[in-house]
Amino acid sequence: MAFLGQEQQIREYQERFTYLYTVLFIVIILFLSRLVFLQILNGDKMRRVSEENRIRRIKISSPRGMMLDRNRKILVDNHPSFDLEIIPQYLKQYKNEVIPLLSKITRIPISDINEILEKSEDQPSFIPIKIKTDLTRDEVAEIETWKISMPGVQIQEEIKRTNIYKDIAAHLLGYIGEVNTIELPLLNKKNSLYKLGDTTGKFGLEKEMEKVLRGVDGEKIVEVDALGRIKLEKGKSRVLSGTLEKPANPGKNLVLTIDQDLQLAATKAFGDKTGSIVAIDPRNGEVLAMLSRPAFDPTEFSRGIPINVWNQLLTNENHPLMDKTIQDHYSPGSVFKVITAIAGLEEGVIDEKTKFHCSGSIKVGNRIYHCHKKHGHGDMNVISAITQSCDIFFYRLSQKLKSVDELAKWAYKFGLGKKTGIQLAREIPGLVPTEEWKKKRFNQVWNGGETLSVAIGQSFLLSTIIQLANLYATLANGGTQYRPYVVKSVESIEGQVLQEFGPETVQKTSLSPKTIELIKQGLWGVINSPHGTAFAQRLPGMDCVGKTGSAQVVRIAADKLFKKGGCESMKYNERQNALFAGYAPAKNPVIAVTVIAEHACHGGTGAGPIARAVIKTYLEKYNPDIYSEKAITARLKGQQKVIEQSQISEENEDSISTDETLPLPNTHPIEEMPEE
Amino acid sequence: MTHTSMESAIPSDDSGTQRLGMYEEELKKMNWNLLILEVILFGIGVWNLISASTVQGKAMGLYKTQLLWFGVGMILTALLLLIHCSTLSRMAYVIYFANLVLLIVVLLIGRSSLGAKRWISFGSFGVQPSEFMKLSMVLCLAKYFETDRTVGGYGFKELLLPTFLMIIPCGLIILEPDLGTAMIIILIGLSMLLFMKIQPKTLLILGTCAAIALPLAYQFALKPYQKQRVISFIDPMADPKGSGWNSLQSKIAIGSGKLFGKGYRKGTQSQLNFLPEHHTDFIFSVFGEEHGFVGCVIILSLYLAFLLNGMSVAYQSHDKFGLLLALGIIMSFFWQIFINLGMVMGILPIVGVPLPFMSYGGSSLITSVLEVAILTNIANKKLMF
Repeated sequence: MAFLGQEQQIREYQERFTYLYTVLFIVIILFLSRLVFLQILNGDKMRRVSEENRIRRIKISSPRGMMLDRNRKILVDNHPSFDLEIIPQYLKQYKNEVIPLLSKITRIPISDINEILEKSEDQPSFIPIKIKTDLTRDEVAEIETWKISMPGVQIQEEIKRTNIYKDIAAHLLGYIGEVNTIELPLLNKKNSLYKLGDTTGKFGLEKEMEKVLRGVDGEKIVEVDALGRIKLEKGKSRVLSGTLEKPANPGKNLVLTIDQDLQLAATKAFGDKTGSIVAIDPRNGEVLAMLSRPAFDPTEFSRGIPINVWNQLLTNENHPLMDKTIQDHYSPGSVFKVITAIAGLEEGVIDEKTKFHCSGSIKVGNRIYHCHKKHGHGDMNVISAITQSCDIFFYRLSQKLKSVDELAKWAYKFGLGKKTGIQLAREIPGLVPTEEWKKKRFNQVWNGGETLSVAIGQSFLLSTIIQLANLYATLANGGTQYRPYVVKSVESIEGQVLQEFGPETVQKTSLSPKTIELIKQGLWGVINSPHGTAFAQRLPGMDCVGKTGSAQVVRIAADKLFKKGGCESMKYNERQNALFAGYAPAKNPVIAVTVIAEHACHGGTGAGPIARAVIKTYLEKYNPDIYSEKAITARLKGQQKVIEQSQISEENEDSISTDETLPLPNTHPIEEMPEE
Repeated sequence: MTHTSMESAIPSDDSGTQRLGMYEEELKKMNWNLLILEVILFGIGVWNLISASTVQGKAMGLYKTQLLWFGVGMILTALLLLIHCSTLSRMAYVIYFANLVLLIVVLLIGRSSLGAKRWISFGSFGVQPSEFMKLSMVLCLAKYFETDRTVGGYGFKELLLPTFLMIIPCGLIILEPDLGTAMIIILIGLSMLLFMKIQPKTLLILGTCAAIALPLAYQFALKPYQKQRVISFIDPMADPKGSGWNSLQSKIAIGSGKLFGKGYRKGTQSQLNFLPEHHTDFIFSVFGEEHGFVGCVIILSLYLAFLLNGMSVAYQSHDKFGLLLALGIIMSFFWQIFINLGMVMGILPIVGVPLPFMSYGGSSLITSVLEVAILTNIANKKLMF
């Protein structure tokens, strides 16, 4: 009975199977269409996404080119530094295992790591968080060993720009920094090679030679798993055979014309003085030394400078951030007198026989112009005027010139008043005043008295140190003005020369040989004659030639100046700037140097020793046969008697002008208040 | 009973030899379809598992464990084939209650993993009683409906007891929590009830209640991670690196397989761990990635054939218990396959439901194998006796 009932029920049930088959059919159609949608219609897209999933493009930073001195001594290099980072996204559930392990390796307390991670919690979790910078080699090795059990932990190698000699030549070499939003469009004008966060040269050669120094970053394509761990390379990866790579194209090295030994000598000689030095090879325009003091350590800049250091640099009254060789101009003072002399000789207003009498002052109009020597030099010709830096001689000379324009003409011919064109930005042109310039600038007629001031390198006249160095280099080689240059060549990292820079003549100044001879004689006397203003700076056996100068920075009353120790008793920033410009050796010069020591009062004692140190270093280094101490001693022995004799006679002369026994401030271009 | 023993296939005397001839004939007539399909699907599953469990080029031992479980399953199958269906009918409630006890034990002394207590440990391996509950539930309901004499559809009163039978294990499983399995059990129960016919009025009221309860349940009953799954199903890009990740990576895996796939053990999504749980719940994505549309269609066809065969077993069963039992088992398979594939293809939200025969996991595999054994038993019942 029950059996029959069940039969009936079963038949009833069997009828309901139609619904089940319908549902099954619908589900199968659903799945099939979904598969068609995913695998056929969207297959290509999904394949691409899956490729991107597993492939990480990793930047291979290209090392920036090094900078080497002329003897291939490394000045600027890249030192690797290793930073420890955590990518929170991959850390997540492994946190409790990874962090204690990491703490054990790095000896950073667990709580500290957690604190750093918590601080960065609101930023996207795929951004790496820096846990520790500058890891030691041992730490790096240990972390690498444990890497596979520490998902999310990575070591970021960063190459940091390092200036080996710290602040020496900081301004010349410059520094790098992160590209900012203002620079970005400028850098990416042609092709977008830069991204925010990249570094670029910001100052000095780093900036000027950016294109050469900067390499092109490479790209490493690695296969990663979902935790961002890089799969083992070579054979271990079945999925992607081999690792594709776009190699980093390293930056090119710069070989400079600079000689680091000279830089070191100059730095030492500068001590804590403020100022700058430029040394040029007069034979070709190579810059041998170029320094500005005080300076800064570019390494600090390149690595991100702490704000307090930055503020100190900004507020330092000696302007350590300014390159005083090309970015600042000064009154050249007596250093300029050679131009006045040349103008006089070449324009024919004086000759070697012309003598002017120096009584200590002259009156022009209703003003009295003083010489730096209160009681006068007596009769002066062009040679002795240069040697003793007699102001009256040059005042008188300039009075004979038609106008200040004749001085300006010769100043231009020697490269003043315009940029030298050295391979550095931010060079300023200085100023050589003319009548027309004054009219334009101030709408005033040129005052004849101003010509007198210009003649001794004061008034409106302004020049940079590199201009003066180049001027003396031009004098040294007899009139050929080269464009000074600091980059000798560009080389590949393998040392292959890619680009070479050679001497470039800007202009040839045709001077009569006689003029040159007279000027050189005058300059020789500055150091080598007992009357010379830098006699104390002479280097036995190395005949240096040069001119001292002390340029006033503020107007000073004559009586104040003539007091003993007048300059030193003044406020620091009212003291005169000390200058020295010269070359060596007298015959066939190989180095021309200009030094400014700000507020160091006397050209001879303030700037002279610095120039002397550089010249000595250079001559000894490159011509040891002639200039090593041994060679000099041997040579001088033969000449001893001659010198002794000449010294006796010079001493006699000295007794006449007692004031000159010590190298004195040679230029006191005084514009006193007009007499009432 | 004793004369059906296959153990007696080993001849011990003359009569044994005689019997053997008889059984040979019977064996030939047996419906092996489901067993064959099971072995094929499992074979593909293990082959696929080797690829899915490969780490850094080396296959881990997972497939060996899986083979071991299958071996155990086959022994149990052989034993089950010897038992008469009515034994199962008699034992149904006992099995059900035993399983309930196990579920309670899990909650008390279970092993935790990923924030859920689902396993009872036996040395190095664990047993998941919730997996077995699928079968126990089907047995229990089949038994209940076998004896039930309700005519003209079920009303509230008649539904009370079967609902109670369903709710208790579900509640215990939700406490673990194992939402996926609980859901499968509910779905099996509901589809069986529906099959048994519910009164239209009751159905309407129940449907309305469900429509009201669902949002409330979402709001108050779901855990935050479960809510996240629902949200990320609706909008996978809402948090592609978080809860939407699994679904997204699975779709990418399957889609990137294109027509013919990337090749065996060359699926980057799974080999590089982009695919989570790729040897358990997301096993089909691994297969889809490596074997493409063609491979997927083959798998779908095999499952379809399996389900159809199972349904015909139910259809052809001549007793009510057998029919309901077979039907319940097929529904259990259907829902697992439907939810798992729907999930990996991104049609359904992420719910932890294994794919029968392919996903790694002993308890799930044993349950599936036992279910197939029961189906085969039912199919061959008339031969056996």
